Amino acid sequence: MSIILIGVNHKTAPVEIRERLAFSDAACADGLRRLVDGEVVREGLIVSTCNRVEILSATAAEQVESGAGRLAQFLDAAANLPAGFLSNHLYRHTDEEAVRHLFRVASSLDSMVVGEPQVLGQVRRAYSVAVEAGTAGRILNRLVHHTFRVAKRVRNETGIAANAVSISYMAVELGKKIFDSLKGCTVLLIGAGEMAELSARHLVNAGASRVLIANRTEETARQIAAEFGAVTVPFEQLDQGLAEADVVICSTGAPTYVLTEAQARRALGRRRNRPTCFIDISVPRNIDPAVGKVPNVFLFDIDDLESVITSNIREREREAERAELIVRSEVMQFQQSLRLMDVGPTIGALREMFQEVARAEMARQRKRLGVLTKEQEAAIEALLVSTVNKISHPILNQMRRFYETSEPAASAPQAEDSFDLDE
Amino acid sequence: MRSLLATVLAAYLIAAIHSILAFINKRRSVQRVAEWATIAGFILHTITLAVDWMIDGHYPLFFLRETLSFLAWALVAVYALVLYRYRAQAVGAFTMPLISVLLFIALLVNPGPTDAPEAFSATRLFPIHTTLVIFAYAAFFIVFMASVMYLLQERNLKLKTFSAIFHRLPPLTTINELATSSAVVGLTLLTLGIATGMIWSWNRYGRMWHNDPKEIFAALTWLVYLVLIIYRSTASWRGRRAAWLGVLGFALVLCTLFGARLLGGYHTFGLLLGF
Repeated sequence: MSIILIGVNHKTAPVEIRERLAFSDAACADGLRRLVDGEVVREGLIVSTCNRVEILSATAAEQVESGAGRLAQFLDAAANLPAGFLSNHLYRHTDEEAVRHLFRVASSLDSMVVGEPQVLGQVRRAYSVAVEAGTAGRILNRLVHHTFRVAKRVRNETGIAANAVSISYMAVELGKKIFDSLKGCTVLLIGAGEMAELSARHLVNAGASRVLIANRTEETARQIAAEFGAVTVPFEQLDQGLAEADVVICSTGAPTYVLTEAQARRALGRRRNRPTCFIDISVPRNIDPAVGKVPNVFLFDIDDLESVITSNIREREREAERAELIVRSEVMQFQQSLRLMDVGPTIGALREMFQEVARAEMARQRKRLGVLTKEQEAAIEALLVSTVNKISHPILNQMRRFYETSEPAASAPQAEDSFDLDE
Repeated sequence: MRSLLATVLAAYLIAAIHSILAFINKRRSVQRVAEWATIAGFILHTITLAVDWMIDGHYPLFFLRETLSFLAWALVAVYALVLYRYRAQAVGAFTMPLISVLLFIALLVNPGPTDAPEAFSATRLFPIHTTLVIFAYAAFFIVFMASVMYLLQERNLKLKTFSAIFHRLPPLTTINELATSSAVVGLTLLTLGIATGMIWSWNRYGRMWHNDPKEIFAALTWLVYLVLIIYRSTASWRGRRAAWLGVLGFALVLCTLFGARLLGGYHTFGLLLGF
């Protein structure tokens, strides 16, 4: 059996093509049932996300070419494109390369942002759709489970997903560098931009217990407050809110500074200088840069956040190199287990055949042995079978070792041929 | 017990190297090696001290080698507590190398005569005095470490330099709390240490205070940490300045520990580091 993977991703195809290809879960199941015919394409699975559409399938080793052709046709048809239209955008991997590609995708090494966690969930869902459609078989089951293991290993053993790479998550990351835990922290939103809201949501997920919202238009503030279970603070009483807040996120559309140094000093005085993290994600800036000079105040503007993100991405890329090593060794392991899977039935069949020979000999010579009790008969048969087993054992072991280190598809059928096992 | 001590040193060196590696590349498996090596070294070290005590017949905290070894032991104990309580692994990357160096010097120096003067081994008060003081110094070392980490991290946050160190250091409030509670523990121990020393001296010489450099430095140290604690506990958060006090205090500790010996005085007994 061979594994084939074809598909497009954000590097090979523009969004106009990817969106035409995208499969919903239902379309996935439907397509899989049409695609997997049991002759050329034996097993199949479709991973469809906003950055990639890939088909993974297992075919008989000698049908790789026709199988791949079928997959490509299937994609053309699914996107309502003329045949061959996609060929410039498609990549195609077989066997070891396909395994490596899937491992890299699930470990988020092939993603637009290295280390983003969603893709593993998407692979997981793709697999459960395939299982339900009945198109995941012996090979894909094994491969996908191994993939989950690799992805988990990469997550645990490298820092590939350790540092935040989105503006909205930065508040959590910086907060954690100042406060040992965000549990019980108070967050103040000044202005009610979408980004600020998202940041606050992350902070709440990380344990922040109170959210205060100050907005020029009270109505908007109340709407958002309802979503969070937050408290609105009238803009005139901003000072009170500032005194209570551990993290302040500012994103108003105001053209000038909304927060001045004097205000920050007053607030810090009222909160007895406990440290405060100010995050200004508005352009033009809404917090006077001089606020950053106040002791125990840590002010970050949008450029600072961008620069942390750049440094975090660099850190992730360094970790990705380690992840590649893990993937490489796992690919080798998987290939080996696949070879054993191929050779396992062959060896079992061989053993059966040897034992059959022993039993046949016994039957042929039975008459010459004269009258025997049931026990004696059983003992002679056991003796023959165990002799045959003992003689064949080292040979079979030798075979097993040989297959472990050679090409799977090539060698297993040969063994079957040379011993006429199919008969 | 040189060979046993050398084994301890080997364990600490392994711990030190792995702590630094764990600090650099944040591997949990490496950190685990560091922690196990520390634990193994500490157990072995404890045994070494106990054996020394039994064989030599005096509390193993008198001659220079013993003092260095005991100080290293106390530092490991305090570091282990910090690790357990705050999970501040970064501390290990700085502490374990220093501990290794202390023990290395201990191995190099002349072990000295095996018998301590009768006067010091006869009374129970003297070993208690020295033990308390050593542990106080170890606690102050943690204050110092935490203060330096605080200043580094605060600087990183203010100047927005998000270097590798920034990612490795613990959060500000954790370091601050570590510094404060270590200072409280250290000051308590030092107070008790000074008190027992005075009582011992009273019993032996009929006077509590000899005006020698070590005593003066110790008193200064005591004052600085008292100020530090009062400063921190009165109302407001004063991270930066308190951190600088933590650094200053430790400079005084070093003067008390090593400097006094150079200046002579009542606390220098022959080969002693001086108590």
